[in-house]
Amino acid sequence: MTDRYSFSLTTFSPSGKLGQIEHALQAVSNGVTSVGIKAANGIVIATEKKTVSTLVDSSSLEKVSTICPSIGMVYSGMGPDSRVLINKGRKSALAYRSVYKEDPPVAILVKEVAGVMQEFTQSGGVRPFGVSLLIAGYDQKGPALYQVDPSGSYFAWKATAIGKNMINANSFLEKRFNEEMELEDAVHTAILTLKEGFEGQITEDTIEIGIIGGSAAVSATGEPLPFAFKKLTPAEVKDYLANIA
Amino acid sequence: MAARIDLPAGGFSFDLAKRNAALEAQGATAPKATKTGTTIVGLVFKDGIVLGADTRATEGPIVADKNCEKIHYIAPNIYCCGAGTAADTEFTTHMISSKMDLHRLTTGRDSRVVTAMTLLKQYLFRYQGHISAALVLGGFDVTGPHLYTIYPHGSTDKLPYVTMGSGSLAAMSVFEAGWSRDMERQAAIDLVKDAIEAGIFNDLGSGSNVDVCVIEKNHVDYLRNYARPNERAQKEQQYRFAPGTTAVLKASVRNLVDVVEGDAMDITS
Amino acid sequence: MSIMEYNGAAVVAMVGKNCVAIGADKRLGQQSLTVSTDFPKIFTMTDKTMIGLAGLATDVLTLRDQFRLKTKLYQLEENRVIEPQTFANMVSSTLYSKRFGPYFIEPVVAGLDKHDKPFICSMDTIGCINFAKDFVVAGTAGGNLYGMCESLWEPDLEPEDLFETVSQALLNAVDRNCLSGWGAVVHIITPDKVVTRSLKARMD
Repeated sequence: MTDRYSFSLTTFSPSGKLGQIEHALQAVSNGVTSVGIKAANGIVIATEKKTVSTLVDSSSLEKVSTICPSIGMVYSGMGPDSRVLINKGRKSALAYRSVYKEDPPVAILVKEVAGVMQEFTQSGGVRPFGVSLLIAGYDQKGPALYQVDPSGSYFAWKATAIGKNMINANSFLEKRFNEEMELEDAVHTAILTLKEGFEGQITEDTIEIGIIGGSAAVSATGEPLPFAFKKLTPAEVKDYLANIA
Repeated sequence: MAARIDLPAGGFSFDLAKRNAALEAQGATAPKATKTGTTIVGLVFKDGIVLGADTRATEGPIVADKNCEKIHYIAPNIYCCGAGTAADTEFTTHMISSKMDLHRLTTGRDSRVVTAMTLLKQYLFRYQGHISAALVLGGFDVTGPHLYTIYPHGSTDKLPYVTMGSGSLAAMSVFEAGWSRDMERQAAIDLVKDAIEAGIFNDLGSGSNVDVCVIEKNHVDYLRNYARPNERAQKEQQYRFAPGTTAVLKASVRNLVDVVEGDAMDITS
Repeated sequence: MSIMEYNGAAVVAMVGKNCVAIGADKRLGQQSLTVSTDFPKIFTMTDKTMIGLAGLATDVLTLRDQFRLKTKLYQLEENRVIEPQTFANMVSSTLYSKRFGPYFIEPVVAGLDKHDKPFICSMDTIGCINFAKDFVVAGTAGGNLYGMCESLWEPDLEPEDLFETVSQALLNAVDRNCLSGWGAVVHIITPDKVVTRSLKARMD
């Protein structure tokens, strides 16, 4: 009976805006920057890993997540909210696989996660998610990079940034991006983009990078996959950073 | 997405159970499902686990598949042989492998054999033996090599050498005679091959080829059709029918490409 | 009487060189009474994928509609045509979701994938897939079809030869099975066309 009174908090203002969703976008802007770049032969997604104190063990934080062997995700905004979406994404990828015995195409997975986010703008007793997502994946059609916002709207990008420094980062990407860029270059560009307006020292412990493309891997059923999502280890990130400095 | 239109949120649909029971009450008997008759085995050797299986699937007395796969993937370091109703072993192992996948993603750690074993036994126990999957589960994890058998009702054993399926007696006789502690890799593979072949040749439910899977620390060798003791002889002559042998009453063609005679008409100007 | 023998059916699929064939008889019976001699059991799912359904006729119709719905929804949702292998997996999980109250159907799937590579498979009533590289069979004449195919089939048959082989296997199998026959239809799927032929068969 309680749900009779717990109608949605997201109601239109007279000017046609949804205040809660705009506030959610503000929560995203308060989050640290994440960047995604689609290269000719793969995709990179990267983010800052900000800790409240130097005493926090940053190796326990995970901001770039694998959804299924061919898809990965990074967020800007509220960490706890993102974990709900990561779980939903993983479960829906598994549900797809239990029917078709193959990984979902990126667009389908994105549609599914975006659907969850939309539901939370219109349901009773809930609030919108305080995160934007970058979802990177590889399917039959090649590499794909999507951004999903708290409203549930989503777009495909060649390169984009979300979070605190997104405006500067995006204009930086507009200058640096070109279509022929290889994955290695894209990783460098992603790091340089994060470097713009980075507070503090950029090290292998303060950024996280995920890539798809290049490396061979194994699918959920044990068959070899031409492309798979992979998180770079701190040692690999260190190598990239050494090349830049 | 898929789950929304295709599958119920979990478990099985019993929509047709009443209808089927009514049909059976009227004297109709339900069809037989594909079984895997089967000889499946596993043993522990010096550096890990060797799993083995035959490749025959049966529907009653008929051989339905002469070269099916009975060693199923669970995790990169864990595999599982299945005997019993073929669909049950197939779907049960696939579902558990999905759960292991999710578990690996959320914990960030490699899967353990005991986790897969526990998930399997709890699932099978829940269905009280109606899901007829008899399994041999083997893998190598952070705590070393492990080998289990799981029965359809959910009981489990942990032993250094095990056999399952209708050919289990034949295979076990080979193991009892030949197994020893800390065997070398090749000796272990050979013993598994001999055990499966004992099943293939002495059990009617088992046949065709030998599949072997060797699981060692950080390394798996899936040796599909490791031995093929029942190759089909080359046909000496062939039954070819001259075109037109079969009388055709009516024929129709559905073209999947546009056929254009000569150059297409120029309609640009 | 087994419920699979109530209506009678014979379905077969074979792999050829860059082509596949799928054939079925046309009889619909009520045990020994023949009700129809023009009952289709093979259905087009996509341009190059077909499914044959052998078993209880009421379930043939139900599943035909269900699979048609699912393939069309897949096409709308994913903006691509479902591959025969993916389709087969979908059929398989649909059947297994009714593990303890199954449809009385043994499906046979035949098609060419996006690289025009042949694909065939058959399933039992609860969705256990049999991936074969040569031929698959289903229905009350299944045992006969196994025998016919095992001796007639050979690798790399061209479409016209494949047609004769699959037709002769099917016709001679149903001639030794009372519950199936009374006409037959054979489809040959090649990269650029699908040829459908109704066969002249014994009507007894």
